[in-house]
Amino acid sequence: MSGRRISPPRTLARGIPMTVWMLLLVVIPLGYTFVTSFFQVDGLQIAARPTLKNYALFFTDPMYPGILLKSMLISLAIAVIAILAGYPLAYMVSFRVSRGRQVLFMLSIIPLWVSYLVRIIAWRTILGNKGVINSALEAAGIIREPLSFLLYNRFAIAVTLTYICIPFVFIPVYTALEKIPRNLLEASSDLGAGELRTFTSVVLPLSLPGLVTGFIFAFIIALGDYIIPQQLGGTQGIMFGNLIWSQFGFAFNWPFGAALSFILLAITVTILRLTSRFGSTEGGFLGE
Amino acid sequence: MSSRRRRGIGLKTYGFLVYFFLYFPLLIVLVFSFSPTKTIVGISGFTLKWYQELLRDGNLLAAFGHTLAIGAAAVGIAVVLGTAGAFFVSRASFPGKAVFRTLVLLPYILPGILMGISLLVVVKAIGIPLSPLTVLLGHVSFTVPVVMFQVMSRIARMGPNYQSAAMDLGANPLQTFWYVTLPMIRTAIVGAALLAFTVSFDEIVISYFLTGTWMTLPVYIYGMMRYGLSPKVYAISAVILVLSLALIMLMSRYTGRSAEVYRPRPSKG
Repeated sequence: MSGRRISPPRTLARGIPMTVWMLLLVVIPLGYTFVTSFFQVDGLQIAARPTLKNYALFFTDPMYPGILLKSMLISLAIAVIAILAGYPLAYMVSFRVSRGRQVLFMLSIIPLWVSYLVRIIAWRTILGNKGVINSALEAAGIIREPLSFLLYNRFAIAVTLTYICIPFVFIPVYTALEKIPRNLLEASSDLGAGELRTFTSVVLPLSLPGLVTGFIFAFIIALGDYIIPQQLGGTQGIMFGNLIWSQFGFAFNWPFGAALSFILLAITVTILRLTSRFGSTEGGFLGE
Repeated sequence: MSSRRRRGIGLKTYGFLVYFFLYFPLLIVLVFSFSPTKTIVGISGFTLKWYQELLRDGNLLAAFGHTLAIGAAAVGIAVVLGTAGAFFVSRASFPGKAVFRTLVLLPYILPGILMGISLLVVVKAIGIPLSPLTVLLGHVSFTVPVVMFQVMSRIARMGPNYQSAAMDLGANPLQTFWYVTLPMIRTAIVGAALLAFTVSFDEIVISYFLTGTWMTLPVYIYGMMRYGLSPKVYAISAVILVLSLALIMLMSRYTGRSAEVYRPRPSKG
């Protein structure tokens, strides 16, 4: 009810610094990029003559929607695998461990804050032609030639991005599981439900908001990444992020890059909106 | 009973495998940083040679310094703006507040490439050359929401009653803030600052677009990686790994996650 009321001007004035920050670093940059997506390139200059050419180019050349679709499918697979790894982990730490729970919790979220670049370096080392897996298999006499399917393809992208996404799934799922009153489990058991039945009828539905949040985060992280495909994807592993990046690098077509960015933004915002009714997305990360 | 125990063991084995998947790659980086050879098989001996080489790489040390400077500046700005913003959002009511919150969060939840490109497009349009300033703008964009949402959740748990009590007892707003509010949110601010610094320390996705010749450490390492993974890359990775871990450990003492949120709940039954 108090949400309808508007605070006095003195209180509102305290929001000025934050509003200035938001205008300068969020609203104006995103807004201006949107405007740029309707500009065109004239030689090496960006000409402010309005056009729909950039969006038309995206929808008429089948290559671009194809890359987007492929990237969305990979991201979907990554999000699913990250859930399959992260959900049981969160379930185990929340329900099955009593001693050392705090340690396991920390172990699960530490990878979130360990350098992104270091983790990419690690996976290049493991999957490379002279990498850990290949040299171990060669030394064991199992293979003669290095397995080439490990690095510079979509498999390597999927492994590394899944690795990055697991803690992002763990946190919201764990938060949701911790909120489940433990006496509900006892009630379920008293009513004769087995462990599996309790899981499917009580635990899983109640943890759904966390699961959805984790899934969205994994999907968005995977879809927007350009560094991992660059480092581990090779030529066949181009993702939508690389496509955007290349317009600002060697292709030098900023207006088209801006249009592609807006397509990515529209997808991201749509997914966030569609799923926001399952629970707050901000909660899992920066709140709590 | 026995089948139940077996299932528990299955889950724990699975959990152990996931932890192995999470930590094995980090271990590999550490091993390679001390290894005199470049392959894992037949690894023998131990060397600190690559670490010594790091110390001789002037550009790398400079980039390291830049990262610390950017982190400190961005966190300083984020603490002031984010804390003020947290109080504003927690206490003020106005139409469009939900939109306001979402807009603040955007730099943190949008794919980094979108923030990087948007900021690049706008600084180029204004005519600001790529410089330490543009890198700083990028880092301020995502450190502010980190601080704001951490402090906001502490304010939410604290409730407004303590301030009301202080004011009733005759404290003016400044005294209330200094003697009552600030001590209660201090650990949240320290934790948020450490978290924001950790994020800034590693950031590359946004920085990449805003960096000219003045490079932060991740951007510099990214450049090194173009020529393959040299042992020096492993050595600097190991240094970053250890520093990140130290920051996380320090952070976990302040954020109160362990103390407040994730304490095992006593069963009510």
